[in-house]
Amino acid sequence: MLIELRDVTKMYKRDTLEVSVLDRVTMSVDEGQFLALMGPSGSGKSTLLNLLAGIDQPTSGSIRIAGAEIAGLSERQLAGWRAQHVGFIFQLYNLIPVLTAFENVELPLLLTSLSKKQRRDHVMTALDIVGLHDRSGHYPRQLSGGQEQRVAIARAIVTDPTLLLADEPTGDLDAKSGQDILTLLQRLNTEFRKTIIMVTHDPHAAERATRVLHLEKGTFVAA
Amino acid sequence: MGLIAGYNLRSMLVRKGTAAMTSLGIAMVVAVFVMTLSIAQGFRATLVASGSPDNVIVMRKGATSENVSAIAKPQLALIESFPQVLSDSSRRPLVSPELVVIISLPRIGDGQPANVPLRAVGPRAFDVRENLSIVEGRRFEPGTREINVGRLAVGRFAGLGIGSEVKFGSAVWTVVGVFEADDASFESEVWGDIDLMLPAFQRNEYQSLTAKLTDASAFESLAAAIDADPRLQLTVRRERDYYAEQSQTMTTIIRVFGTFVTLILSVGAMFGAMNTMYAAVAYRTREVGTLRALGFSRSRIVVAFLVESVALSLLGGIIGCVLALPVHGLSTGTTNMASFSEVAFKFRITPALMVAGLVFSALMGAAGGLLPALRAARIPVARALREI
Amino acid sequence: MKFLALIFKSARRSKRRTALTALSVAIAVFLFASLRAVLDGFNAGAAGSSSTRIITIRSTSLIFAMPSSHANAIRGVDGVRDLSWANWFGGIYKDPQNFFAQFAVDAESYLRLYPEILLTPDEKQAFLDDRTGCVVGDGLARTYGFKVGDRIVLQVGIPIYGTQDFTFTVRGIYRAGGTAVDNQSMMFHWKYADERAIEKGQIGWFVEEIDNPDRSAAIALAIDEKFTNTPYETKTNTEQQFMASFASMFGNLNLLLGSIAFAVVVTTLFVAANTMAMSVRERTTEIAVMRTLGFPSQTIFFFIAGEGMLISLLGGVLGAGLAVLLVNGERLGITGGFVPAFGVSPRNALTGLAISAGIGLVAGLVPATLASRLKIVDALRRVA
Repeated sequence: MLIELRDVTKMYKRDTLEVSVLDRVTMSVDEGQFLALMGPSGSGKSTLLNLLAGIDQPTSGSIRIAGAEIAGLSERQLAGWRAQHVGFIFQLYNLIPVLTAFENVELPLLLTSLSKKQRRDHVMTALDIVGLHDRSGHYPRQLSGGQEQRVAIARAIVTDPTLLLADEPTGDLDAKSGQDILTLLQRLNTEFRKTIIMVTHDPHAAERATRVLHLEKGTFVAA
Repeated sequence: MGLIAGYNLRSMLVRKGTAAMTSLGIAMVVAVFVMTLSIAQGFRATLVASGSPDNVIVMRKGATSENVSAIAKPQLALIESFPQVLSDSSRRPLVSPELVVIISLPRIGDGQPANVPLRAVGPRAFDVRENLSIVEGRRFEPGTREINVGRLAVGRFAGLGIGSEVKFGSAVWTVVGVFEADDASFESEVWGDIDLMLPAFQRNEYQSLTAKLTDASAFESLAAAIDADPRLQLTVRRERDYYAEQSQTMTTIIRVFGTFVTLILSVGAMFGAMNTMYAAVAYRTREVGTLRALGFSRSRIVVAFLVESVALSLLGGIIGCVLALPVHGLSTGTTNMASFSEVAFKFRITPALMVAGLVFSALMGAAGGLLPALRAARIPVARALREI
Repeated sequence: MKFLALIFKSARRSKRRTALTALSVAIAVFLFASLRAVLDGFNAGAAGSSSTRIITIRSTSLIFAMPSSHANAIRGVDGVRDLSWANWFGGIYKDPQNFFAQFAVDAESYLRLYPEILLTPDEKQAFLDDRTGCVVGDGLARTYGFKVGDRIVLQVGIPIYGTQDFTFTVRGIYRAGGTAVDNQSMMFHWKYADERAIEKGQIGWFVEEIDNPDRSAAIALAIDEKFTNTPYETKTNTEQQFMASFASMFGNLNLLLGSIAFAVVVTTLFVAANTMAMSVRERTTEIAVMRTLGFPSQTIFFFIAGEGMLISLLGGVLGAGLAVLLVNGERLGITGGFVPAFGVSPRNALTGLAISAGIGLVAGLVPATLASRLKIVDALRRVA
C-alpha cells in the first residue's frame, strides 16, 4: 500500500459555523494505480487531493504515504516532502508566465542539488515524454491550452515523484486536447508505472482510470 | 457619467491599502511644497510689512540700500523743511535719521554668532512708524544709553530681555522696552538713540532718513523737489517699494529652491499614482469590458478613471495641507543678503498657498492617471469579457 | 545563484511597473544626493579649514574695522607665527546682480598664509609686482570669461572707498587647493584700496598662523586681551568657527534640508511599497504554485524581498549616477556670491545607493512576509 488514509476529517470554520468537508474518510491506494475521484461540487474531492498533496492539513486522522506519516508535519517539513514526493497538475495549468517552457519544467529541480547539466537532461527527458521537445524555448502565452497543460505535466514528472495528483486536468480544455491529456496520463501510468490520483467530474475521463471512487458530502459512497 | 464615476470611487475603497499609500505619497509632496513655499511667503511678508504706504526713505543718490548710503547731518533739516513731510501735533516734522549697523550676538538656537541689526534712530522714529507698539517696558529715553528690542529679536538672540545690559561700541546699553511691529522686519532689530550711537561707532554721518508724508500722493512732488535741489544729492523711495526690493533676492532663491525640489519629488509621486492606476485598470478589465458592451463610450471610461485618479490625489493634497499646517506661525530666521543682517520671520501658510497645493495635487493625479485611463478605454470589449 | 536568475525574470514581469518604480527610487536618490551635496557645500569651508589659522575681527561685529596698528600688537602675542589681513570690498561689477566676493588683501603675507591659493610662480610674481593687479579664482574666470591681462572695473559699493571706480588688471588665475578657499573670488592689494580710502588704515579682519593648534583657544584669548577696554576690541576665533558661523547664516539648513530629504525618502517608500504589494497580489496563484512544488516559505520571502531590492537598487544607481553628472553648482551656474560651490561626492552617491537598498528592503518586507505566510489552498481557490 502506497497510500493509507485512516479516519481523516477536515473541518472549516465559517464565522461561528463549523463545516465538515471530509468526514472520517478511510481509503488505501496501491502503487501503480490510476485512481479517479468523482463527486458533485462541494463533495470534498479537491480537499482530499490537497491533503494527499500535503498542501493542506487534516483536522484529525492519519495519512501515510510511502511509509511516512504526513498529517501533523510542520509547514517546512511538508514543503520538503512535497518537493520529493508529489507532482501536482492543476486545472488552470498555472505555469509561470515570465519563464519559458523549459524554465517552468526546471523549477522543481532548483530545489535539488543537481548540476545545471543534470537538470537540463531531466527537463528535456520530461519534455520528450509529453511531446514538446521543440517548444522548450516558448513562453506560456505562445502555447495552446493543451500544450500548456502538457508542460505542466512535464513539470509534475520531472522530479520523478512518488505520486502524481491531478485536479480536473481537462476541465479547461476542448474535447480533443482533453483526450490527448488523458491518453498521456494513461501512458504515464501503464508505461512508466506512475501512481496517479485524478479528481474529475467527467465520467468519460474517469473511464480512463483503473479504479473509481465516489465522494459525496465528505464520505465515500457506492457508484 | 455620474454612475461610472461613483462606481469607480466605490471600487477605490475596495482596494483601500493601495489607494491609501498612493494618497499618502502625494500628501508628502504637497506637504513639502506648502512648507517650503511658506518660508518664502513668511520672509516676504515680514519685509513687506515693514513698509508703510505713506512713508518714504531718503538715501544718498546711487545707493542700492541704506547700508551703503551716507547722508550728511545738515541735510536732515533740509528734508524736514519740505511741505510734503507730515508734522505731529507739536509741529515737529516726522522724520527719523537712521543708521543700521550689525552687532554680533549669539543665536539662542545654536549658539553661533548672529548678525543682529542695530538701528540707530531719531527721537520720532516710533511716530514715523505707526505700526510699532511697545508691549513690555517703555520707549528708550533720547540722550541716554537705553535701547528697545523687537519681540522676535528677544526670542532669537541671547541676552536681549528687559533689563539686560548689552555691550557694544565701547559702552554698555540697557534694554528698557520690547516692541512689536506686526511681524515686520523691525521686530528683529535693536533700536537706540542715533546721537549717542554715531560717535560710539566712530561714524559722523547718517545712512538714511525715514519720513512720513502728509499723504501717500505727495510722493511725486517730494521726489521732484529733491531732484531739483542741487544741494541734495539724494534719492527718495516709497518705503514699501524699498523693502519689497530688499526682499527680492532671498525670496526668489527660496521660492526657486522650494519649487525645484517639489517638482522633482512630484514626478516620483506621479509615477506612484500611475502604477496604482495601471493596476486598477488591469484589475477591472472585465468590468470595463462589460460597461463597454452595455454601451458606455470610450471617453466616458477615460473620464471615469481620470476622475478616480484626481480624487485620490486631491485626497492626498488635503492630507498634505493638513500635515503642513502645524508649521504656520513657527518662528525662524535667515540672513537677508541685501542687508547682511539676520531677519526673524514666521512660516506663513496662506489660503492661496493651500489652494496652490491642492491644484498641484490634482495636476499630479491627472498627469499620473492619463495614460492608464487611455489604456482602459482601449480595452477591446471581447477580450475583456473573456478575461479571468 | 540559480534563484537570482528567477528574481531577474520575475522583475521583467511588468516592465512598465518595474520601470516606474525604479524611476521613483531614482528620483528620490537624485534629490537626496543633491540635497546632501548642497549641505556639504555650505559646510565645506568649515570642514576644510586649517587648524593652525585663526581669525581676528572686531568684537562688535564683522562689519566694523580695526586700525592697522593692531597688527604689531598681534604679532607680539606668544604663539603667533605669521600674520596677514583682508578687507571686504563689496564693489559692483557692471551690474549689482553680478555678485562675487572681492577681497583687498595684504598680498604677500596672505598668499603665505593660504597655501591653498595655487598660482604659477610667474603669475604670483606678476601679481605682487603690480599695485593695481588682481587674481581671480578659476571658477570666477569661467563665469565671466576673465583672462590674464584683462581689465576689471569695479564700482565702489562701500562708501569708505570714495566715489571713483577702481580698475584692476588680472595678473593670475588661481585654483583652490582646499575648501577653505573658494574659486569664485577676486583678490587685489589692500595697499591700493587703502590709498584711495577716505579713512586710512582700516582693516576688516586679521588672519594669524599659530605654532600649536592645541593652544588656539589660549592664543585667541591672549590676542583679544591686548585690546580689551580699548575703542577697538577684538574677538578671535579658529578659522573653523569663523566659517561655521557663515554656514549658519542662512538658517538651520541641516534641519531644513534634512527634513526635505526625510520627506523624499518616506514618499518613495510609499510608492515602492505600493508597487511591491500590487505586484505580489497579482501573483498569489503563482506563489501558491511554487509553494506546492515544494519551495519553502522562507525562499518565497527572499524572492519577493530580493525583487524589491533589485528594482530599488536599479533606481538607486540611476539616480546616483544622474546626480553625480548633473548636480554641480558651477555647471548649473548658481554658485558665486554667497552660494558655495557644491557637487555630489562619491560618498554622497554611495549614501544614496544605500538609501535605495534600504527603501527596497523596507518596502518589500510586508509583501514578502504576506507572500510567505500565504495559505496555499486559499490562494489556489481564489482563482477558480
